[in-house]
Amino acid sequence: MPLSAYLIMSALLFTIGVIGVLIRRNPLIIFMSIELMLNAVNLSFVALSHFLDSADGQMFVFLVLTVAAAEVVVGLALIVSIYRRRHNIDVDEMNIMRG
Amino acid sequence: MTFDIVSFIVLAVATTATALGVIAFKNAVHSALSLILTLLFLALFYLQLQAMFIAVVQILIYAGAIMVLFLFVVTMLAPDQNESDLKDAIPWQRIVGGLLGLVLVAALSYELFTGAQITGPKAAAGNSLTQAVTAYHGDTQAFGMALFHGFLFPFEVTSLLIIVAILGALVFGRRAN
Repeated sequence: MPLSAYLIMSALLFTIGVIGVLIRRNPLIIFMSIELMLNAVNLSFVALSHFLDSADGQMFVFLVLTVAAAEVVVGLALIVSIYRRRHNIDVDEMNIMRG
Repeated sequence: MTFDIVSFIVLAVATTATALGVIAFKNAVHSALSLILTLLFLALFYLQLQAMFIAVVQILIYAGAIMVLFLFVVTMLAPDQNESDLKDAIPWQRIVGGLLGLVLVAALSYELFTGAQITGPKAAAGNSLTQAVTAYHGDTQAFGMALFHGFLFPFEVTSLLIIVAILGALVFGRRAN
């Protein structure tokens, strides 16, 4: 398959993630959409690494994986602590920056 | 059609369908399960692109560890509370969000379709260690050699990042008095 096929697949996944962030109001699903966007970028990294015959892209994917893991840990802890305080996780109602 | 094209198309359709499932399911548990399938299909894409180590890491860390954490939190925070029960504060955001998404995918596809060509010598970007990784189809030994010789500093910074993330989770998870 040509490189552009993989890159368009990656663009499609990224867009699905963006739409998820825009239209959903459950912060957990917004988080999953962010994961989807990270994975879309990972796919384009691996595809470029394959077609350029260099593993630099795969190294980046490895580092993006650890960043994603750290992000999920902190984000989920944040959501749990918001839920503990307010018993409601609708993002439209989280509009004040104090507890 | 060769096996290559057929497998790409099957994988692309499956990945897109499950990714749409992530943002379409009402129940967050179903979204999480759909995301796990998407990540598994992406691992198959990585195998197709001859990145063995990345594919295995994708399954172990993403579809395994990260998604277990997700499902744990989703089931902890009232899984049966559907979004449709809540009133929609901004009713037009679905339509506008969908339209903006269509604009984005059209723009990205146009750019990639017209711009994505590799010109010049193929191996211009890498040194010998990272070329060994692609030569051995991304196997773990070559990957480790390249990682610990060319990317040692980013790798060490990663450990700092993980420690900071653990401390952050501890601070947020502490019960406020």
